Amino acid sequence: MKKIFIAFLFMCSLAACTSNFVNENQNPYQITDQMLTQDFNLLGSPFSGLLFNLFGHQIEEDLVHDSFMGYMNTPTPFVGNVNNTTYYIRWNVYWDRVYGSVMSPSKQVIDLAKKNNLPLFASWAKFIRLLSISKLTAYHGPVIYSKYGSTDASIGYDSESTLYNTFFAQLDSFQTDFSANKSYVGFKKFDPSYNGNMSAWSKLINSMRLRLAMRLTNVAPALAKAQGEKAMADANGLIETNGDNFNVSLLGNLIPVAMICFQWDDTRMGAAMESFMVGLKDGRISKYFSAADFPNLYADHPSVPYKGIRNGAYCDAKIDKVPYSRVSYDFNSVQTRRSFTAAEVKFLKAEAALRGWAGAGSAKANYEAGISLSFADWGASGADSYIADATSTPINYVDPKDARNSFTARSTITVAWNEGDSNELKLEKIITQKYLNNFTNTLEAWVDFRRTGYPKIPHVAKNDSSPDWGVIPADQWIKRMPFTTGERNGNAAAVAAAVSTMGAGAKDDIATRLWWDTGGPNF
Amino acid sequence: MKKRLYLILIVLFASFSGVMAQVKVSGTVTDPEGISIPGVSVVQKGTTNGTTTDADGKYSLSVSSANADLQFSFVGMTTVTEALNGRSVINLKMKSESVGINEVVVTALGIQREKKTLTYASQQVSGTELRVAANNNFMEAMSGKAAGIDIKTSNSGAGGSTKAVLRGNKSLVGLSEPLYVIDGIPMVNNKGGQPGSYGGVDGGDGLSQINPGDIESINVLKGANASILYGSQGANGVVLITTKKGKAEKTTVTISSSTMLDQVSGLPDFQYDYGAVNNSDYNWSKTKGNYQRDYIKNFFQTGVNETNSLSISGGNDKTTVYFSYSNTSAKGVMPTNTYQKNNFTFNQSTKLFDDKVTISSNVMFSDEVSRNRPGAGYYNNPLTGLYLFARERDFGSYKTHYATFNKDRNMDVMNWYSTEEKQNNPYWEINKDPKLSTTKRAIASVKLAWDVAKHLKFEVRGNIDYANKLNDNRYAAGGNSVSVSPNGTWSYSKYTDQALYTDGILSYNNTFGKFSVNAIAGASYQHNTFSDGMSVGNGTVSLMYPNFFSFANMPYNVMFNQGINKVIKQGAFANVQLGYKEQLFLDLSARNDWASTLALTGNQSYLYPAVGLSWILSQSVSLPEPISFAKFRVSSSQTANEVPFNVVNPANSINGAGTPSGIGGIGRNTQVPFTNLKPEVITSNEIGTEWRFFHGRAGLEFTYYDDVSTNQFLTLGAPSGSGYTYFYVNAGKITNKGFELTIDAEPVRSTTTSWKTSINLSQNKNKINELIASQPNYQVGGDDEGFASIIKAGGSFNDVYIYKFNRNDAGQIILDANGNPTKAAKQVKVGNVNPDFILGWNNTVTYKDFYLSALINAKFGGVAFSKTEAFLDSYGVSKRTADARANSTMPINAIKGTTPVTSIDPEVYYRAVGDRNRIMEPYIYSRTNVRLGQLVLGYNFNVKKLKLPVKEASFSLIGRNLFFFYKKAPYDPEQAMSTGNSMQSNDVFSVPNTRTYGFNLKVTF
Repeated sequence: MKKIFIAFLFMCSLAACTSNFVNENQNPYQITDQMLTQDFNLLGSPFSGLLFNLFGHQIEEDLVHDSFMGYMNTPTPFVGNVNNTTYYIRWNVYWDRVYGSVMSPSKQVIDLAKKNNLPLFASWAKFIRLLSISKLTAYHGPVIYSKYGSTDASIGYDSESTLYNTFFAQLDSFQTDFSANKSYVGFKKFDPSYNGNMSAWSKLINSMRLRLAMRLTNVAPALAKAQGEKAMADANGLIETNGDNFNVSLLGNLIPVAMICFQWDDTRMGAAMESFMVGLKDGRISKYFSAADFPNLYADHPSVPYKGIRNGAYCDAKIDKVPYSRVSYDFNSVQTRRSFTAAEVKFLKAEAALRGWAGAGSAKANYEAGISLSFADWGASGADSYIADATSTPINYVDPKDARNSFTARSTITVAWNEGDSNELKLEKIITQKYLNNFTNTLEAWVDFRRTGYPKIPHVAKNDSSPDWGVIPADQWIKRMPFTTGERNGNAAAVAAAVSTMGAGAKDDIATRLWWDTGGPNF
Repeated sequence: MKKRLYLILIVLFASFSGVMAQVKVSGTVTDPEGISIPGVSVVQKGTTNGTTTDADGKYSLSVSSANADLQFSFVGMTTVTEALNGRSVINLKMKSESVGINEVVVTALGIQREKKTLTYASQQVSGTELRVAANNNFMEAMSGKAAGIDIKTSNSGAGGSTKAVLRGNKSLVGLSEPLYVIDGIPMVNNKGGQPGSYGGVDGGDGLSQINPGDIESINVLKGANASILYGSQGANGVVLITTKKGKAEKTTVTISSSTMLDQVSGLPDFQYDYGAVNNSDYNWSKTKGNYQRDYIKNFFQTGVNETNSLSISGGNDKTTVYFSYSNTSAKGVMPTNTYQKNNFTFNQSTKLFDDKVTISSNVMFSDEVSRNRPGAGYYNNPLTGLYLFARERDFGSYKTHYATFNKDRNMDVMNWYSTEEKQNNPYWEINKDPKLSTTKRAIASVKLAWDVAKHLKFEVRGNIDYANKLNDNRYAAGGNSVSVSPNGTWSYSKYTDQALYTDGILSYNNTFGKFSVNAIAGASYQHNTFSDGMSVGNGTVSLMYPNFFSFANMPYNVMFNQGINKVIKQGAFANVQLGYKEQLFLDLSARNDWASTLALTGNQSYLYPAVGLSWILSQSVSLPEPISFAKFRVSSSQTANEVPFNVVNPANSINGAGTPSGIGGIGRNTQVPFTNLKPEVITSNEIGTEWRFFHGRAGLEFTYYDDVSTNQFLTLGAPSGSGYTYFYVNAGKITNKGFELTIDAEPVRSTTTSWKTSINLSQNKNKINELIASQPNYQVGGDDEGFASIIKAGGSFNDVYIYKFNRNDAGQIILDANGNPTKAAKQVKVGNVNPDFILGWNNTVTYKDFYLSALINAKFGGVAFSKTEAFLDSYGVSKRTADARANSTMPINAIKGTTPVTSIDPEVYYRAVGDRNRIMEPYIYSRTNVRLGQLVLGYNFNVKKLKLPVKEASFSLIGRNLFFFYKKAPYDPEQAMSTGNSMQSNDVFSVPNTRTYGFNLKVTF
């Protein structure tokens, strides 16, 4: 009996306590909030990631608005050459990046800021959210913003008008917070863009107000004017020198366009860029692109060795298009991406001047300053002669491999400003130059194009739009990206409600215009 | 000279013992039908004095006493002990030892039970049977030898992994592979990474480290009913390995040597007549040329696999020992691929304290080194460049000059004409991209068994299973820019897997009149620490200096990662088997687990039960003479599974290198805390029957099962607006229903000839009844470059979806304005990657000293997919594209606008359908295949007649996968590209299938 007892005792000791289970289920190679409180890292440490995720990669940008706007196009006939670039939606994931890598972690920052009584970090996080969501709404239209983080079963979208009014109100509050703390140094360690310089952030807040105001010129001109004038009047100023440019750190990663171009051979110069830059004799072309591999590719302009690929091109074999112009090899060593430049601010002010907004100054001066700043920013020479060129116009494009992709340039503008031009022509020049400046930061160019119709880029050569995702007529361009499949399936009621805010007969497809895309006149 | 002296001594010694003998006994041994049995062992009990019957079943033996006991034993017959009682002639009619009557089998935890009492299905395969075809991997050898087990072997060659599934796939995210157990103790079988469409190499698994020579037998417990005592780990069935032990009074030394050759047996059909035009990558010239033809065939080499092993076993009444050493040295069919393995095994068992306590121990050590194990997929794969090579070019020069000197870099770079991401110079790839993978593993256990009282026994065991793994893959600078950085790419990982296991089991066996009781109660503790180590890979971020693979050469923006995966599991279990009159048995089990991965959920402790009943009809009622045994059984069980490590409440990670001057950002954990996580539950029910006929010469075993898996652990994207990015749910319902049937017979049995045959047949029907009720479109798996293998509600595990042609209602293929065939808008289901029926038909014929073993393996149903063929077509290198070109057009039933089209240009057609992501309809094949799995012709040397100084000697010629009786897929679906869940029955430039042949020599001293 004693022996049995011993045996039982042994077995009981085996079924030992489970008190260490909680610890054992933790991964020692993860960093806890407790550890992050040291050196006050808890709140600031996620910011470099939040900023990084303002931008997407191949399937969020390169195969979307980089291609739609003719900046870049792919030599690869992805999915049988029926894909986003030919208006048949295959990839639609920017939404996931915004909510997964910006909204969700920033929510934790905002909650922690409240808990730790560091409200400036909350303002900062909210401002980055605004930067991110203002891009996402230009992609889809209504998005989840004010109801984000609620526990509702179906989380509702904000209509676009609500979004922009919210943005403007929030910008007021951010500016109040930031300008009251000009000497605050708490962001320094966590801010790869401005090294914690509060004044620089204040300029970005004003510049954002101007950018967002300009989006509304056709749909809500009074609001646009009021907000635009407010932005230009604010004592904190705008981004008006290249030193104030808002650049986002690549965090040691290769800039996506270089990776997609050099490592994957999946992107090349866009034909629209060739048409404008070769035609207008743009000195930035060698800073953006490198020469095509074979002279027979650019036989139509042998002294300017570049060849682009048409947006929505016919593409039978990748090998045909791989030798076309890559981006400049300089992109292999850049550490940051342009997100908001002084040149863009100048072009915004040039349009503001055209529209008679107070504080904008002269349209011509802003337009020419924008070009000069852009040339300087990109390290290109010849800005003065470029600005003075009143004869060169965009060239017609020839695809040496497939004539179906060739096109006649729709635009006949020159660079030189002419005060005698109509407002439309002046606006075309301003937006065209804004477009040329915004290389590698292309979403706002898609906004401008839908709002104003400029620059006059070609239609897609191959239009695969269908009732599946919406039909784009031959004389039109893609209007938006549909809501994601995940939202359509998982949040159907909210998606339906969002679509109903997009106007009578609106559908969740690529042919439905966004709120500020009225299709009406610019003036 | 010395040897001869020993021989003389041995002979002298033998005759000396003969001198001592005083009584001579003789007789004839026959089977129940009166046919004499040669080779029956006749031994004077308690001594080593013995002999065997001759070809006529006659024996003659001198024994030391007229009252000695003679023991007669023969495989398949019940051992008989006859007291001499002064007789000098004993003629004996031996009885067949019917399987299922008195056979004792090993069940869960190493508990021995009589097979007839079991309430669930199990099937035993002997080590001899496993080794007959000299497989290096014991699970590969199991194919077709037990009903209901679906085995696929990686085509990566020696040291590669296997995929075994019993009774269908049950887990959506995990692998539904059985638990492997060595002498009662679970062993670790962690599978390394597997290739996908884009590339990768089989990371091996834990099975290749086991020396098949150490296996005495394998018992397969097919369902959760049988394995409940192992808890959740046994939910997918258990493969119980019983290792060889030393035997008292019998010292044997066995030497075995095998040499096996592997040859590529299934290359795709290529064309070599048409090249490319304008330096294209695509071979679409319409003009025939005279080009090199044999470079693909010649690229592969004959693989050689040499295994030499030695084992020594012996002992006495108190102590037994067993030692073995085995060495495998192999080279694969892919040049530069080599594999070396050394295994050491030592076990001993000693009885102490008046034999009341037995202490035994077992140590297994293995050391594997694999170099350049071949992979699959697009990237860094020599076969893409080899197969797609532009025919008009000079392959010989690319072979000789695979590297070319680059003046600008002052170093060699790859010489290849194509810049495609998937193309490499095959010789650059095999010579300049060395891949090393090593495993050092020790499994050590100690066991103490104590006979506490007459009916009470206590056992305590401890085991450590420790493996150290290294993967070091280097890709030289100047390779393909998509996958290799300008200065080279290095992928390095080093980690350990450690499993500690200990248990204590109290068992009680007794009989009370008509009732018998077999009961156990115990507790176990497991602490697994897996993948404990580090990894680093620079991908396409450039190293600082070219071709120098060192941590010091990593740029600032490459992260060094550490990983770990821990589970502590404590279990308490009990099992009672109640017998009534040796004919009715009731089996009750229960286990409670406490799992650390469920800490904080309130569900960390969970209990699950099993119940089973068996009735031996033949014991209860008198059955007609031909029926020697009949049994029915039924059982039902539930098991529960813990969830993965660190999912309940994870912390944050550093998610990047940061700027050169700044700090890396923190990736906040954005998972919804999952504090109501529950264990996964698998309920399984089975009924079965077992019959033996004609004194056991024929038999049948049939089981029908019905398993339901619920509470599956699923990852789900959190609603975008919720503030989180993903969460986990317990959801889903998967059912697996099917049967297992085993029929065996010995149709011929005579003094010189015998024929044994057995058939294993099984079917599994899998159904995904539900995943997430609120999200009917939720699916696991998705499109992989035109091939989608999907698990979703209403379907079954890994349904295949592909794009078909876009056809009109009349069935005509719709051509676009340019005459290209168009693709349907949506992918449609075309089948499932898993077979419907699995059949193994095993035959052994012996004639005098010769034996012949033939195994026919067949799998019926399912579909297979070949992306390789799709690429070969689009590149114009498949034979069918040449045949079509020779006729200049090919027929098609199509329509362009409203005009019917009856012929099409082959280039237009194949470039529209082939390649990835296009119209994959022509590349779906029937998965059904029937093959001669193994054929062995052996000869047992008649050592007595030949007066050889050995106990036994045999020589055999072996062939494996010799040919197919039927196969429609362009590759072998059982030689798998991947042994993971995805990419099953798929081929993306993986190693072509091989056939194996060679010989084995075995000598026992």
